[in-house]
Amino acid sequence: MRAWPTLRLALAGILAGAVATFPFVATAETPDAALAKLIEDARAEASAPDTCAKPELDRLVRVFCDNRIRPGVREYYPLFGTREGQTRSGYDVDVARALARHLGVEPVFARVNAATRVPLLADDRIDVILATMGHNTQRDGQVRFIRPHYYQSETIIVGPRALPVKGWADIAGRTICVTIGNGSNAQIVSHNARLMLFDEAGVLPDQLREETCTLAAQDDSFFDYYFIEPDFAVRFDKKFGFAQVPWGMAVARTASADRLARALDLMSQIFHRDGVFLGIARANRVGTGFLERQRAVWNRPECNTDAGSTNPACVLPALDAALQPTPFAGRVAAIEDWIEARTGVDFSLPMFKTMPAWSLFKDGIVNSLILVAGALAATLLFAMVLGGLQSSRRFLLRWPARASTIVLQSSPVVLTLVIAAAVAQAIFPYSSAVAIGAAIVALGLMNGSNAGQAIAEAMHTLRTERGSVQGTGGIPTTELFGRAVSRSATQIVSFLINAAKGTPIASFIGAPELLSALTDITSFASGRATTYTLLLVFYVAVVVVVVWLCDRLRSWLEHRQAAA
Amino acid sequence: MMGLHIPSDFFRDLLEGMVVNFEIAAIALLIGLAFGGLLALGRLGGGAVGAFATTLIGLMRAAPTFVVMFFLLNIIPRDATLFGVGVSPSPLMIVALSLVPYSASYVADNGAESLKQLRAGSPLGALQFLPNVTRAFFVLVMSSSAGAAIGVTEGIAVILREAVLLPALGDKLVLFAIGILFFGATLQAGFALMRLLQRHLGRLAMRDQAIP
Repeated sequence: MRAWPTLRLALAGILAGAVATFPFVATAETPDAALAKLIEDARAEASAPDTCAKPELDRLVRVFCDNRIRPGVREYYPLFGTREGQTRSGYDVDVARALARHLGVEPVFARVNAATRVPLLADDRIDVILATMGHNTQRDGQVRFIRPHYYQSETIIVGPRALPVKGWADIAGRTICVTIGNGSNAQIVSHNARLMLFDEAGVLPDQLREETCTLAAQDDSFFDYYFIEPDFAVRFDKKFGFAQVPWGMAVARTASADRLARALDLMSQIFHRDGVFLGIARANRVGTGFLERQRAVWNRPECNTDAGSTNPACVLPALDAALQPTPFAGRVAAIEDWIEARTGVDFSLPMFKTMPAWSLFKDGIVNSLILVAGALAATLLFAMVLGGLQSSRRFLLRWPARASTIVLQSSPVVLTLVIAAAVAQAIFPYSSAVAIGAAIVALGLMNGSNAGQAIAEAMHTLRTERGSVQGTGGIPTTELFGRAVSRSATQIVSFLINAAKGTPIASFIGAPELLSALTDITSFASGRATTYTLLLVFYVAVVVVVVWLCDRLRSWLEHRQAAA
Repeated sequence: MMGLHIPSDFFRDLLEGMVVNFEIAAIALLIGLAFGGLLALGRLGGGAVGAFATTLIGLMRAAPTFVVMFFLLNIIPRDATLFGVGVSPSPLMIVALSLVPYSASYVADNGAESLKQLRAGSPLGALQFLPNVTRAFFVLVMSSSAGAAIGVTEGIAVILREAVLLPALGDKLVLFAIGILFFGATLQAGFALMRLLQRHLGRLAMRDQAIP
């Protein structure tokens, strides 16, 4: 027991020593103090003789050596980065100016776009990216993102004010105009919407105005500019938003950029806390919801410290944009490389590389084959029914069938499909199966009515040949009808082939066949050329098989007729 | 349905859209005539060229128009140039080109038959090519509605953009019926023209036979 006071003294001594050695464990610095010290140290280093001439200079020190910082900004992104002559403006541009002012150096802007911003940073031609760049896990491996994020965007669906669209439930079966490569396309596809693809976001507002697109999806930051145009704002509104993605400034992922990154982290914290970002956003008329929420966060005591930018409770995570790869993605990539190395052709098979794409692809093939089989069966069925009715001697049976045939022949294929889909959706809630079913009925009716007409004409010739005495009670006899079917074999076969060829158009009403599936895949993956070439090969092969099968059917029918 | 309101400029837009349908069909038929004519000559020539032409015609017959349209849309770069001149086709041109496999194979089939008739000494039989081409033209007009899927403002696209704002099925069906009426009248007029042409050719044939 006498040893206990000695032990207590020893423990107190160890604790006091630890606190003296690691003062930050007990006391957190403010971000302002940490930033001031960082800047002071870097300035001191920059002013030391020969420092600025050293190779591999620390990038923060170099900023002070050169008395400039080189932000990479966009020049054609309204409200965020634009340039008219020598005048640059926008939220990103003003943030860059505020950063430079805080460091006490001049901003020297460089033009970047979505494709060049990361390579220019890697080539050390800019110091920091400030160019509407979303922070996702894929980009984390390329650049060092500054935390906290300086803005956040989301994808919004925009459409005519009169259109009652409020959420995902209202977009099933509708066409939405999107840009290729937009990360949120996969999410839109998963809600049964059809996509119309465009290369550039800049065309979307015009496509909405010209009513080519009823709905368009793009970043809210992009549409902000158009919503300040009175004409646009009167006609269109935001329906709903999704896929929020934080925007990050970014520096090079090298050790020499660590202190610059740290300085920008601290400045970003301070700018949020003091409402600097918010003020710049208001001045540039961009959305401020995110910045208002962030200001509250960075004023919280646990976040307003020099360690706040690494505190998971304060900073936002990067968007997880990585799609789950298939088990055979590696082998597919090897095949692509092998083909490219030998042929020089940029060969890409995106449908085999990620699970969502693979799943869409498999379903697309199965649905296409169901559609083809269904369209063939429906064509035959409607041909028999309409052929029989048109051959009837009863006026009340014959003329409605003839009138239906004329109407079906007069309706363009797309319109017939849309009518079938509209009626189906009025009866059943929208689903892929309903879309496929509607397409089968529409294709069957269109082609079956023509084939039915051919059967009726054959029936007429048979009756003429036989002196018009066949059949009883106005209904053609089974035997005579069978012969009429055999006689019109060529026409029936031709419309069966037509039905098979017409199945891809079912994608227009949202049937998830292969064309629809591959359009969805290419909206979020690369390899459009290869993908659509494979699609063409698939459908030509399917039609060739159908032609072969139909030729067999025709031979059988003709043989039957000859035997009769 | 009682409250169906069709904007005053709808019918003007619809007619303008249908002009686009005719434009697409005319382009597709012209290219089809040139390409299909060559294929017909090639097929009749026999040998390796004939076999190649026959295979190509078969493949073109099997190619679904809608898939060809998306294939062309995605395979041709937007900034494609030839000898420094931009050759990237417009969406309208893409729809027309997607109809070329159909029109060319149709022209090749009928053209070969006409050439056979001509060689057999029946110029009037060969002239049956004209009503057949007229029929193909009107089939192309109807098929050009596929352009609505890639943002071409043709007749059906005009109807669909109006229909999407109508909540009631009844109203939509009225609008669709108007579309069928307009396209149907065009088609039936086309077929009437074709019958007139056939009758005229028939009369010519009778006159030929009457001359000793």
